[in-house]
Amino acid sequence: MPEEEEFIQQLLNPKTQNEAFQKLLLAYQKPLYNLIRNIVLNHDDTDDALQNTFIKVFQNLKNFKGQSKLFSWMYRIATNEALSLLNQKAKKHGVSSETLQNKTIDNLKSDPYFDGDEIQIKLHKAIAALPEKQQLVFKMKYFEELKYEQISDILGTSVGALKASYHHAVKKIEVFVMAN
Amino acid sequence: MKTFKLENEPKIKSGFNIPEHYFENFSENVMRNLPRNEPKVISIFKKRKNLLMIAAAILVVALMVPIFYSSPSSKEIDSVALENYLSYQTNITQYDLINALESEDIDKINTTVALENKTIEDILATNPDLEQLINE
Repeated sequence: MPEEEEFIQQLLNPKTQNEAFQKLLLAYQKPLYNLIRNIVLNHDDTDDALQNTFIKVFQNLKNFKGQSKLFSWMYRIATNEALSLLNQKAKKHGVSSETLQNKTIDNLKSDPYFDGDEIQIKLHKAIAALPEKQQLVFKMKYFEELKYEQISDILGTSVGALKASYHHAVKKIEVFVMAN
Repeated sequence: MKTFKLENEPKIKSGFNIPEHYFENFSENVMRNLPRNEPKVISIFKKRKNLLMIAAAILVVALMVPIFYSSPSSKEIDSVALENYLSYQTNITQYDLINALESEDIDKINTTVALENKTIEDILATNPDLEQLINE
């Protein structure tokens, strides 16, 4: 994409870097916030992971060779940041990632930045019970409404495997919701 | 029991809200905290570190030089010092020396010295002490 190449050049050129990075921030801060928030669940952790994501993007721009799209590269960094924050937190508290997520979901009821009701809580709990990869695929497809091709670029998994993952995730969530 | 099908249900939203004006402050914060001069700082630091390491290596090599050069000479014993040591500092007697020598060594020492009369006269003339010794 010639437009993207030009934009990357602007990001790398010290004279245009400031303005270009500001554009990048404005374009990506909301979608990346939503992606991270769906993984880490609370606002403060999302804020931390989002800041780290943009700082990492800035630091690694010179290494970005355009082998993938800027979009999927940034989504990949954001996903990794969110997952590593979650793992670090779980390790710090000496619990599994699933236990930590369930605890965070229980706290959502009193979270000022959550206005969901019972069905939302149940859905988040059902997602937390899934394996990590299925969680990511489900969140990207169901909440973020990304296309399989985009998810494939971000996670480096084939479209076929992603469809299977999503299908399994939906089945397990339905069983979970009915059982609870 | 009522069946639950996700695709038949109305879309369930995540339920997450974002604090007001969050994104305005967020982009300002990020722009302020970008590590702008970091690469340059790192490069200067690395250069200094390398220079320090080179200086340290040279210093170590320089300190090693006298050790290498002085060690072989200390093993060689000066012949005069050995002679003096054998004469004054040890309990080795002439008998010990004789015992230590093989008969072949003695044969080597036992060479005939051809002396002409004139040479003997010269020696006697230049060494007044010898005359005294002969007299005794």
